[in-house]
Amino acid sequence: MTRRLLLLTAALLALALVLRPSAVTESPQGFAGLGAEAEGYAEAGPGQPLRFPDDHGPHPDYRIEWWYLTANLADEQGQPLGIQWTLFRQALAPPDASPVEPTRPWHSRQLWMAHAAVSRGERHLVEERFARGLTLPDAEARRAQAGAVAEPFAAWLDDWRLNSRVVDPAGDTFEQLEVSASGEDAGQPFGYRLTLTAEGPLVLHGEAGFSQKSADGQGSYYYSQPFWRVEGEVELDGETHRVSGRGWLDREWSSQLLGPTQQGWDWFSLHLDDGHRLMAFRLRGGGRDGDDYLSGSWIAPDGSLTPLSGDDLALIPQQTSSAAGREVPTRWRLQLPGQGLDLAVTARHPERWMETAFAYWEGEVVAVDHDSGERQGEGYLEMTGY
Amino acid sequence: MIAAAAATLLSHYRRHPGQLVMLLLGLWVASALWSGVQAINASARDSYDRSAALFDAGLDRIERRDGAPLTLDTYLALRQAGVAVSPLIEGELALAGGERVTLLGIEPLTLPAASGIQASGGPDALGDFLQPPWRTRLAADTLAALDTARHGERLLDRNRQPLPPLALDASVPPGTLVTDIGVAGALLGMPDDAISRLLIAPGDPAELPAPLVRLHAEQLADPGQLSDSFHLNLTALGLLALVVGLFIVHAALSLTLEQRLGMLRTLRALGVPGTTLVALLTAELLVLGVVGALLGIVSGVWLAGQLLPDVAASLAALYSEQVGSELALPWHYWLGGLAITLGGLFSAGATTLWRAARLDVLALGQRQRWRGGLQRQLAIMAVVGAGLWLLALGLWLWLSGQPPGERLLAGFALVAIGLLAATLWLPPLLGLLLGWAVRGLRQRPLVQWALADLQLQLPRLQLAMMALLLALATNLGVGSMVGGFRLTFLDWLDQRLVAEAYVRPPTEQFEASVAWLEARDEVIDLLPTRRADATLRAAGVAAQPVGVYGITPAPRLTQHWPLLHTEQGVLEAWQAFTEGAALINEQLAIATGLGPGDRLTLSSAEGPLETAIAAVYPDYGNPRGEVTLTTTALAERFAAPPGSLGIVLAEGSDVAALGQALDRAIDLAGASLIDQQAMKQQAQAIFERTFAITRALTVLTLAVAGLALFTSLLAQGGERRAQLAPLWALGVTRGRLAGVSLVQLSLAALATALLAIPLGIALTWGLVAVINVAAFGWRLPLHVFPSQLLLALGLALAVAWLAALIPLWRLWRSRPRELLMEFSAS
Repeated sequence: MTRRLLLLTAALLALALVLRPSAVTESPQGFAGLGAEAEGYAEAGPGQPLRFPDDHGPHPDYRIEWWYLTANLADEQGQPLGIQWTLFRQALAPPDASPVEPTRPWHSRQLWMAHAAVSRGERHLVEERFARGLTLPDAEARRAQAGAVAEPFAAWLDDWRLNSRVVDPAGDTFEQLEVSASGEDAGQPFGYRLTLTAEGPLVLHGEAGFSQKSADGQGSYYYSQPFWRVEGEVELDGETHRVSGRGWLDREWSSQLLGPTQQGWDWFSLHLDDGHRLMAFRLRGGGRDGDDYLSGSWIAPDGSLTPLSGDDLALIPQQTSSAAGREVPTRWRLQLPGQGLDLAVTARHPERWMETAFAYWEGEVVAVDHDSGERQGEGYLEMTGY
Repeated sequence: MIAAAAATLLSHYRRHPGQLVMLLLGLWVASALWSGVQAINASARDSYDRSAALFDAGLDRIERRDGAPLTLDTYLALRQAGVAVSPLIEGELALAGGERVTLLGIEPLTLPAASGIQASGGPDALGDFLQPPWRTRLAADTLAALDTARHGERLLDRNRQPLPPLALDASVPPGTLVTDIGVAGALLGMPDDAISRLLIAPGDPAELPAPLVRLHAEQLADPGQLSDSFHLNLTALGLLALVVGLFIVHAALSLTLEQRLGMLRTLRALGVPGTTLVALLTAELLVLGVVGALLGIVSGVWLAGQLLPDVAASLAALYSEQVGSELALPWHYWLGGLAITLGGLFSAGATTLWRAARLDVLALGQRQRWRGGLQRQLAIMAVVGAGLWLLALGLWLWLSGQPPGERLLAGFALVAIGLLAATLWLPPLLGLLLGWAVRGLRQRPLVQWALADLQLQLPRLQLAMMALLLALATNLGVGSMVGGFRLTFLDWLDQRLVAEAYVRPPTEQFEASVAWLEARDEVIDLLPTRRADATLRAAGVAAQPVGVYGITPAPRLTQHWPLLHTEQGVLEAWQAFTEGAALINEQLAIATGLGPGDRLTLSSAEGPLETAIAAVYPDYGNPRGEVTLTTTALAERFAAPPGSLGIVLAEGSDVAALGQALDRAIDLAGASLIDQQAMKQQAQAIFERTFAITRALTVLTLAVAGLALFTSLLAQGGERRAQLAPLWALGVTRGRLAGVSLVQLSLAALATALLAIPLGIALTWGLVAVINVAAFGWRLPLHVFPSQLLLALGLALAVAWLAALIPLWRLWRSRPRELLMEFSAS
């Protein structure tokens, strides 16, 4: 899931109000500078086991990191509805680069960005926010405008929060979370307040949590909680909808996870109706000899994971739609011969373009059997670089 | 054939190069004036916008009601509660060279988009701004003024410590440095978690917890709207300048066509189709128009640069920045100027083309009857003019029934129709005056002849005289408006800055500051102010939010604070005010119909306050309704936090020394004493610059009118000789004839100037009392300066004489043989 990290860097650039698409996409450091050298930062590599709950918290020595939640929900009438809640962290300088030791609370070398979205039918409301990290004593970390702490778990920017509901100090505080955000898109208010209950274990992608993102070895630490049962309320167009459904939370951090030539990606997270979960992505231009780099995880209902490589997986765009004036593939064919799966995955609505500082496509999809057309599941698709 | 026809048509200019020069000159001057006004408007607006930030950044402020300081905790608590506030640190920084600048520490990630200070720069700019060694953003003019405080690429503070590296940013107000909030506090020596104030977007409906109070951006004194009003009027006058310029074009075009009528008929008779002729003339106009307009735009920008040396720098920045950024203004600007000039040219040339298209081949050889139908033409002008006057009257009646702040377009239309009507009436009026004069002067043949002859010249001169009328009226209008505007602005400064010095101590230091100041010998009086918000209720008025302003009615203030309407008198009104009555500003009075003697109720979180209105006061530039009470009432009844503190000093006191002593005695957290004189001078300097430009512009407008007159006189020079030859033959000397011509012209110019005076006053009235009220809801006082009226008369004569100089000199120098030849020719 190389996808999200670029958002941060790109948002930084755009924040400076001088986002020049050509300069960004054609930079020699790959998309949005995410293939830039990671000098001075900690580097992600295989063979370093993840540790919980510590790894739920931030990893400031790595350049980029995110907490990324999507949920496929339905209201009481059964009408589908999707939400997104994302917190990004980006280091502005390597840990030892600063000539001045941060002393005042405003000093910080971390930048935070959050996206919140609600979508239903053709409606798609989005807001983004920014914050600087603050230099505060560890005991006061929770006072900051934005941040994350591992235990008891919380991640937030302003009043947009994803935090633990577990009160038992001995329990796993990541088992039950609540998420809330409220915002405004072109004067239209929206918001949600949802509870998340884990109905399966955390899953570690790639090699025990190290997920390679390019044929020449760049990658990231990447784990997910794809088994959330979600319940709560969503506000949209002045109405409050009681909703329930399934959610997927991704955690990823790295310092350089793209190869220098990779220009964009297509990323799927699917909840199949038989209880399996599927994560699959295609990095365009990241394979050997400039081919696409494909990878994924096949997750059984008990959480056991089978890594998928380019040989086990095919992602074929079949039909494009116009979203905010761009042609993006909104119908895909996903083939997993080893699992006997041949899926047609279609966007619920093509208008899911995120007009954020760095724009991308993020929306709900429905998966059906490619031949019979029988429903197999639902999920989220993210596409960048279009 | 087309080429031959074109060559024939253009050969006219080879024989009369003067006409070509005149045409181009007219176009050039018209478009230069227009572009100059536009360029000045753009650049002056830029400097106003920046200087407006001297008073406020355009955002609402949040402070604590109890006066305790704001800290990082307050900010974080509000953000986590979902209130989109942004912290700001502000203070005065002393630099190595002794200069003092305002230092703003901003938090660019949360700064509302409406703020005057924007995050800007290249892709790395934000990272550089947020990270050591940070950046110091400032405008080029500020940097130029701080030369002594520099060491290489860095500014040094008074301890010779380097500030962060410099980054130029044209949007930063003059005399101001902007850094990240993380470094500003350290530079100002403020506590780690100190915040000067919190900012929030004016439209943000956020509810604040009870200890906090929100101060609306509009409540803070801001000359922004005042200058907007000024620019609106300046634009209207720029358009007028263009119209005046186009009069020359029209005159020159009519002349070239008239002289080519014979040629056109011949070409038609030789078989050139009428459409081809019209197309050729159109192409000729187009080429002339493009050349003239481009020349004009270039010189207009040059003109603006010459008139405003330091604005030229910001213009250069503005126009060269297009290379690197998305600024699209220059193209609009060039194309707009071109389109305006071409549009004007074709409207001026339309009648010419129309006549060429309807050319009667059979009329070949018939003399052009340009004198024919004069009486009919004058009658038509008078009737159309009267119709327009009626229309203007109707519009005005309708307008005065409309709510203020609306119908701006109608206001402009009213002024335009009025001007047009007056201009149309000029020739009939002149004709009428001459008619009376001719009848009244039967005993003096030469004078009578001169007047009758002037009557005959009217058709030729009328356009030039109309241009002169417009130019004079514009001159008067601009002069009165600018003069009135200047007086108003100075009044406004006097009204708001009555004390010798001002300070805005941090709320927690307010009492200590007051005590310290009261103990000083040189301090005569203190004039504290406070601000709050409330909901206004009154009989027959819909409940509405208003600003509540607290002032201290000390003699120093009441002497300078003007009152427009009172119930019994100014002294009584101030007495009532001291006893608890309210003053309301003109905006509120116009919007609600409330006036002295009416009662109003102000509701706030602290409960309602009912009181009577003692008086209405002018409040130029404030878009909001405002109720003024005593500062004490604000503190007691609205729990308003202390605001700025005016300090009335004994004569001859040293403001700077007092400021330093105060600085040493009390921790003002960067808010130091402001010298009222210096502040006034700074504000005045900005306005004086614009006034100088408008003065130069009006002179140019007059020059254009003079040029139009000159063109007309030159064009009729030949014809005039034929009319003067018989008089010469009767024994009137050439010198006498030239003198008579000069008197004729002077009379016409003087009559025009006399008519221009009421028109100019009406134009000023239209600008300040109709357009300004329509645009902003308040009225600028109408000032008429008698010296300007006299000057206008003098100018009219000077323009007429200057324009007559060459034609008359030629007449005076013409050889008898040439005059004799006039007889052989006829």
